[in-house]
Amino acid sequence: MTEPVWGPVHRDIVDLLADHPADVPAVVDHLTKLQDMLVRLPPLEESCPLADFNKLYLTITSSVLDGLYDDRFVDPVFLSRLDVEFAARYFDAMRLWTDSSPGTPKAWSCLFERMRGPDARPLPSAAAGVNAHINFDLPFALVTTFDHLESEPVDGSDQHHDYLEINNIFADKIPGLRRGYLERWQLLIDMLNGDIDDWYQGELVEYTRDVAWRNAQKIWRCRHDPDARECERTRLDDNAAALGRLLLSPLGAFLQ
Amino acid sequence: MASDVDTAPLVGRAELVQTVRSALLGDVAHGQTAAVFLTGESGVGKTRLLGEIGARLRDQGALVLTGSCLDIGDASPLHPLLQALRRFDADLSASQARTSSAVRGLLQMFADETAGPDGAGALLERVSRGLHLIAEGRPLVLILDDLQWVDRSTRQLLLYLLAGLGDLQLSVLAAVRAESLQGAHPLRRVLTELRRLRTVRVLDLAPLDRAGTERLAAAVVGRELAADAAEQVWQRSGGNPFVIEELARDLRDGRDGLSETLREIFLARVDALPQHAHAVVHAVAAGVEPVEHWLLAQVLRLPEEELIEAARAAVAHRLLVGADDGYRLRHRLVAEVLAHELLPAERSGLHRRYAEALTAAPAELHQARLAHHWRLAGEPARALPAAVAAAQEAERLHGYAEAHRHWSAALQLAGDPGTPGVDRVELLGHAAEAAHHCGEHARALALLEELAAVQGGEPGCALHIRRARYLAAAGRSALAEKEYQRALEAADCSPGERATAAAHLAELLLHLGRYADAGRRAREALALAATVEGSTTEVVLASSALGFSEAYLEDPDAGLAVMRQALDTAERAGRPEDVACAYLHLAELLTGPLNILEEGVVVARRGAERVAELGLGRTWETRLLAIATNGLFRVGQWAEAEKVVAAALRHRPSGADAVELLLARCRLSVGYGDIEAADRDLDAVATVLAGGGARHVIPLLTLRAGLAMWEGRHDVARQAVQRGLTESRSDDVTILSALVWHGLRAEAEAHASRTVAVDPTAVRRLRDVAERVARKSASAARPVRSVVDGFLALCAAEVSRLDGSDPELWASSVAEWDRRNHPYPAAYSRLRQAEALLARRSRVATAAKLLREAYRVAQGLGAVPLTSEIRELAGRARVSLEEREAADRARGAAPAEPVDDELAALTAREREVLALVAEGLTNKEIGQRLFISERTIGVHVSHIFDKLQVRTRVQASAIQLRNRRG
Repeated sequence: MTEPVWGPVHRDIVDLLADHPADVPAVVDHLTKLQDMLVRLPPLEESCPLADFNKLYLTITSSVLDGLYDDRFVDPVFLSRLDVEFAARYFDAMRLWTDSSPGTPKAWSCLFERMRGPDARPLPSAAAGVNAHINFDLPFALVTTFDHLESEPVDGSDQHHDYLEINNIFADKIPGLRRGYLERWQLLIDMLNGDIDDWYQGELVEYTRDVAWRNAQKIWRCRHDPDARECERTRLDDNAAALGRLLLSPLGAFLQ
Repeated sequence: MASDVDTAPLVGRAELVQTVRSALLGDVAHGQTAAVFLTGESGVGKTRLLGEIGARLRDQGALVLTGSCLDIGDASPLHPLLQALRRFDADLSASQARTSSAVRGLLQMFADETAGPDGAGALLERVSRGLHLIAEGRPLVLILDDLQWVDRSTRQLLLYLLAGLGDLQLSVLAAVRAESLQGAHPLRRVLTELRRLRTVRVLDLAPLDRAGTERLAAAVVGRELAADAAEQVWQRSGGNPFVIEELARDLRDGRDGLSETLREIFLARVDALPQHAHAVVHAVAAGVEPVEHWLLAQVLRLPEEELIEAARAAVAHRLLVGADDGYRLRHRLVAEVLAHELLPAERSGLHRRYAEALTAAPAELHQARLAHHWRLAGEPARALPAAVAAAQEAERLHGYAEAHRHWSAALQLAGDPGTPGVDRVELLGHAAEAAHHCGEHARALALLEELAAVQGGEPGCALHIRRARYLAAAGRSALAEKEYQRALEAADCSPGERATAAAHLAELLLHLGRYADAGRRAREALALAATVEGSTTEVVLASSALGFSEAYLEDPDAGLAVMRQALDTAERAGRPEDVACAYLHLAELLTGPLNILEEGVVVARRGAERVAELGLGRTWETRLLAIATNGLFRVGQWAEAEKVVAAALRHRPSGADAVELLLARCRLSVGYGDIEAADRDLDAVATVLAGGGARHVIPLLTLRAGLAMWEGRHDVARQAVQRGLTESRSDDVTILSALVWHGLRAEAEAHASRTVAVDPTAVRRLRDVAERVARKSASAARPVRSVVDGFLALCAAEVSRLDGSDPELWASSVAEWDRRNHPYPAAYSRLRQAEALLARRSRVATAAKLLREAYRVAQGLGAVPLTSEIRELAGRARVSLEEREAADRARGAAPAEPVDDELAALTAREREVLALVAEGLTNKEIGQRLFISERTIGVHVSHIFDKLQVRTRVQASAIQLRNRRG
């Protein structure tokens, strides 16, 4: 038999993923347990790139939870549903990876592949996870949440306000991601002068702001059309994967 | 039809089949529902499993209905159910005439359905009645394939039936493509919510493992595979049974080399087809499955014999399957391979032939299919009338989501230069209204903008009112308010329209909490309505807004008088909906802000009778009875409340009405301590809410917490409250205060029972929220504040329980609830006040009196868990609860319990002490529990040791445990 995907913590992770957290406290609980497992994953253990992301995500989700308890959001119903739906996509990606499914989003698999090494620096690793999660997962999570709450992504609504508030939390928790980071990314991309440059100009600068929201609006409009929806999914996955691979390349270390 | 499609054995799924069978039939209690959702990637064998399991359930005596959802995004509402019924009817033999007439009756019901208010809910009810007749007492199983393409109406029907609202023993088995769930599919949320229920299973169908792969391949080939061939099959199939089968078949038939991909396999087969068979395969690929034989014949224009021969060849090459109702491609994966194999001109030619054939002879999904084919044939002018007809057809069945899509398609077609002479304004109007009905608010507004642009000039009053209505529905109140004002200012505004706008504006302002403004607008509306004939609806609406605003502004009598007058007006004018509405508002006003419960209940019940006479039983009677139930619960007439709720549920309500009643019934069950019934209702509510909406989540979680506490599962209660805290809007202070009380009570109970550790973070958060609620309610209207104050009093008192319960705080909670005339929380507070007094060993006589009062009320209500808590406390404190028993109790005769020999020597009190010793409590803790001093406990313990002839607590405990009953 081939070695299980998650090595010695395979059973633990599979058991954990069998559960589907349904509220924000449960999501935080899930991420906490996951963190404990990921740092035991050889060969990288403490420096597992997924653990780098997971740790950051846990910090952010805990902040969101505190914000919910502290009445920081206008529409907590929307926000907590979004948070749960958002996290579910991360857990889904892990589940697909566990099954070695070809359906694993490429945006995620480029990070998962690196769990066996070579080692990547923690900051680019975390950023690669954030990239997959925001640029790929978030728009779909937004659409599902709106659909469920029988509401819609409308600019300037309470939900939009709360959504931007989450972005602030992300920005707070990612050291220098918004400013210094992006300048360096810009430099990096100038150096590469590659074909994702146009996309970068169009979307990445707004990274922590509104891209996912705009993409969600785009998907929202074609959500009843399976082909168009699938097309959008592939586009987002490809873009996010390209950036993820870049972050995890030796060039990504440059960000640290 | 000759085909070896199903001859390959089902490998590696035996356990799954067993699990699903028992989940759907064996383990389902009589009258209950169950569901299994199978998810898995394409080719993993979902359809095959559905067939297999269906056949076995049929053998076990279940009535099985099978349908599939369609991937033409514009199918008609409830298509899979209609298809299932038709198939079932076709399979019935002559001896089953009665069943057949029931099926046809139900199908006829769909044909006769007309659009109308609450049509959707009534339709659900009629469907379940129809299914009931068809089932004739047998368990009913509904099997649905390709659920990822389910239409909204079917989705709602499933949730309705699974929630038990249809009063039907039903199991649902459905297959969902896993790929579809990855994007933003609505089913994602539905499944997340449902998978937590006990009666629902979501099973992921994994590919086969290596051994399974080899077994299946060997079965197809007819012998064990050579090692390298087996390895290749494993590598290339990834364990996907569909691919394994095809690869193995190639291997068996000795085709050279093993194809690399599925695509190659099927393209090679298509190439090998004879010419006519080739045409058959492509024609079916362009059609809407199943493609009927007659239709295929017309599309291909082949003589019968040649067609049959061609179809046979396609089946033999494993590209097609044939069934009684028509032809299908063998698998979705085949369709994907074929999708790009035709030239555009060939494809549109096929669609044209389909459209022409269908025009001549109506068939299933007639209009939707017609529109689909004409559009793809590049004939917008001919597609347009079909799209319009399909939209009207969908509206007839209350499928506004589908109707909206048909109207949108029609608009697109009408935009084509090839379709002149279309009334765009009318199309836009219909599309906007359908979008509004199915909750696509932004789209509805955008369509309205377009409508205004097409009309040109200044938008008129009617348009402003319409826009305001859509905005209000979208929750964009500020903009809605402006639109109503524009409507009122519009030059072309008739007095009737003006009254309408003012009345709706008043209602909107009321929801925004601007009571004075609401009152002003309401008066304006009433004045306007007085001058216009036939504006009773506006009178009722405005009166209600005025009534509530006066109540909040603390002039209840004025508001009440207006509401009563509105009821008179409605009765005189005689439109049933107006009468019903007036009753509803009046009852809500009385039982809500005014807290005149008894009268409110009387009005609600009288109203319910009246509207039933007027023929509005299903909708309005149900709502009025829900109000009566909640009022009766609060004033403590639980037995009566139970009767009323049962009467209301007889109408099989759906949606929010159903949720309201189920929650009301659950509240009673929690009070009674009927855990099973309460759980069932909570699951039913969760099922309905899985379809969308969030308004009722907090009451649901509050009840869940209350129930968990009676079960001693304080951590479960804590989780429910935490979820509620993170999902409640902070401006909803009333339901939030009830939730916070449950949270604090859970912590206090955990502390008292020592079963679960108190969570200090949770306590801190709950106290923060309680403070925030107090701050916010300070500025709220008095009726709101009054309810909140009751819960806040409970909160403060519960907090004190964590640290030496304060009898004064409990006394003020008693006073709050007595003042509001809510006996249940008052009795609970009395129990706690007594407990606090006893713990301090002060004012024992007062405590005894409180306990007796609480006991009397709790017994009167039938509140079993509360009663037993009171009894338990009274027992520990040796307080007699019945005046008559007082004398007996004084003599120390404990309620007789069979006593085993070893403990016979102990007195009743000593046995109580010993039981607590065995629980591991210290003397100090036992003293606190029994309200006597630690020293006295020490004396009891030494007597116990003497009598039992033991020297340690452990030995004494062992004897206690040995002699415990059971």
